[in-house]
Amino acid sequence: MIPAFGAVLLPLSMLSRFVDPFSAILRDVLGLNPVLLQLVAFALLLGGVYALTALGLTMIFGVMDVINFAHGIFLVVGMYTTLVVTTTFGVNPFLAIGVAVVVLFVLGVVMHLSIIEPILDAPDQNQLIVTLGALFVIQSVIEIGFGPDPQSIGFKAGTLEVAGVFIPNGRLYALALAILAMVVVWAFLQYTDLGREIRGTANNRIGAQYVGINVTRINYLTFGIGAALAGLAGGSVALFNRFDPFSGSTYLINAFVIVVLGGLGSFPGAFLGGMIIGFLQVFGSYYLPGTTYQILIFLLFIGTLLVKPEGIFGGESA
Amino acid sequence: MSKREQSAVSSRRRYLKLAGVSGVAALAGCSGGGGETTTSTSGGTTTGTTNGGGNVEEVIIGSNHPLSGGLASTGVKMDNAVKLAAQRKNEAGGIEALGGADVKVISGDNQGEQSLGGQVSNDLIDQGASVLTGCYSSPVTTAATQAAERAQTPFVVSVAADDAVLQGRGLDYSYRPQPPAKRMARDYAEYVPEVIRQNGGTIETAGLFYVNNSYGQAIRESLNEYLPQNGVEVTVETALEYGADSADTQVTKLKQSDPDTVIATTYVPGGVLLSQAMQDQDYRPPHLTACASATFLDDEALADIGDFANGVLDNNYALNNTIDKTAAVREAFRNQYDKGMDGSTGMAYVATEVIIQAIEETGSTDPEAINETLSSIQVDDHIAAMGTIDFQENGENANALAPVNQVQDLAAKVVYPEEYAEAQPQI
Repeated sequence: MIPAFGAVLLPLSMLSRFVDPFSAILRDVLGLNPVLLQLVAFALLLGGVYALTALGLTMIFGVMDVINFAHGIFLVVGMYTTLVVTTTFGVNPFLAIGVAVVVLFVLGVVMHLSIIEPILDAPDQNQLIVTLGALFVIQSVIEIGFGPDPQSIGFKAGTLEVAGVFIPNGRLYALALAILAMVVVWAFLQYTDLGREIRGTANNRIGAQYVGINVTRINYLTFGIGAALAGLAGGSVALFNRFDPFSGSTYLINAFVIVVLGGLGSFPGAFLGGMIIGFLQVFGSYYLPGTTYQILIFLLFIGTLLVKPEGIFGGESA
Repeated sequence: MSKREQSAVSSRRRYLKLAGVSGVAALAGCSGGGGETTTSTSGGTTTGTTNGGGNVEEVIIGSNHPLSGGLASTGVKMDNAVKLAAQRKNEAGGIEALGGADVKVISGDNQGEQSLGGQVSNDLIDQGASVLTGCYSSPVTTAATQAAERAQTPFVVSVAADDAVLQGRGLDYSYRPQPPAKRMARDYAEYVPEVIRQNGGTIETAGLFYVNNSYGQAIRESLNEYLPQNGVEVTVETALEYGADSADTQVTKLKQSDPDTVIATTYVPGGVLLSQAMQDQDYRPPHLTACASATFLDDEALADIGDFANGVLDNNYALNNTIDKTAAVREAFRNQYDKGMDGSTGMAYVATEVIIQAIEETGSTDPEAINETLSSIQVDDHIAAMGTIDFQENGENANALAPVNQVQDLAAKVVYPEEYAEAQPQI
């Protein structure tokens, strides 16, 4: 009788560990706890950064079907470019981010022409291996050049306080840049001839060739733009975080999750995916014990792959 | 571990101690004249280089640390500390017991990845290491010591806090000079509240901020056990994932609970994120403290955090700055590597000092013989703020200590116990 009672109590206590966080959220919502506003602000800011880091990845995949494992290290190149330009020339960090965008665009074009284009028609695993190789080479070069020590551009952005809600300005700038980048790239794709050519190529590469679009040119421009977006993201992150040659891995993993959630090749999907991860991470780490929110993120990831493998905005390229 | 297993381990260690010098001499006599001293072990072959006459020319120490990846900043410094200890020994004439043989350090990069810990140990052993040291990260050290155990090669932990790295695993070849998590948490619970209260402060509630891996979890569990015994209640806990890029939410959670102290247990990046998020939210508890956290001992991190770091109390392994030797070692390190020697770096140096003394006492490059010496060694001549290093049956140092450091003028200074204090606490 007693053991049986204990056997019932154990699952009950385990159940309460799952139920308690949700009852706490409900209590805070019903009680209009002001901390919710703070959490929403952090979730938006974090989601914005994550969305920004995923834009370039989703663009390259959407147009070229290339899964770019070097995307994370592109961010890191953006961070270090911002650092060098800021500290060497005393340039305003925002201008330095602009330089990082240009540097990454050039790097993306060069990388595409030299190692991606020759294997575009090869099996998918070749692209994975080549981009992974590029990741290690670039990472090693950065480590040799700058060492493994964390770096900082020393930008003190300060904090904005609105109605008791603290908003770190560095992250706010990153969110603004994410929105701006999304709008600019979306407008470019919608309203320019080159943008239309890119979308046409994304929809049907063979068809695009038949109607006279220079697909090779579109490929390297797309890869360059994707890399430039990564440079923008890296420069933005450098505004508020320390970084080292290995900082790209965390952002790469998040970017893959976001892109799959939102839909491969979809800009709105990348933004929404970033926001979903941002909200799950912030609210999960506040209400759930330890870092169990990660379970929720990956359950969502697996669930998306099972139920809607094309993602939330799947099929709606760029 | 079952009592039977414990008993087996104890018996094995007692046997090692009893084997003594006669066994060492016998094993040392295995030197061949063909240019190599080779001892077959179950795990492979270990080699000490000899000259044609059979004298040992060098003895090899394997340094298994994160030289790339997120922990590389500290890992590289620790690896350099191992090399410096070897270099200073060589400059002083090498291993006397081996006719002035050089101490050679070979380095392996575990990238801070548990999956590579064992592989790097095996590689170093295959390259001829007679004894290993590492690894900074507890999960990596767990894997690395397992591989060393299989190869029957001694392993002196440089830094790794998790109790489970050594305890309950039946290891006969692993030793740890630094205090394990449970001891560090116990020292925190005993010393830090005492320092605060003795200097007019109040501490009744605590919030735990920890990195969510085996090291962070081990400290967290032990703090939950010991703090209530010292009149401090844990009112909130919040975890940071390894490699996170923000601690905003965690700080919001701590701020909501508003404990008397926040206790950080993180690697260097986590503590920087914590400080940054606290400043962003205009929050600082009455006492910002840390337990076994690398952040508030790291010169570069303190410079990065700025004045906000001043006043932080952190109980952790530390260097004994009351002796001249420590100053000389720190100066040599800075001259050679243009970096400050912090606590973690210092412990890598200490681990190498232990290894070098063991080789000297053994008079052999044979791993089994060195292991026998380590099991009963007494090391007084070291630069750590602790007493004689004396390994117990389970490989833990009986006299390990985690003194209280305080950041003053952006430098970590030991403030308690008085025996090792270099400054007065400022509460």
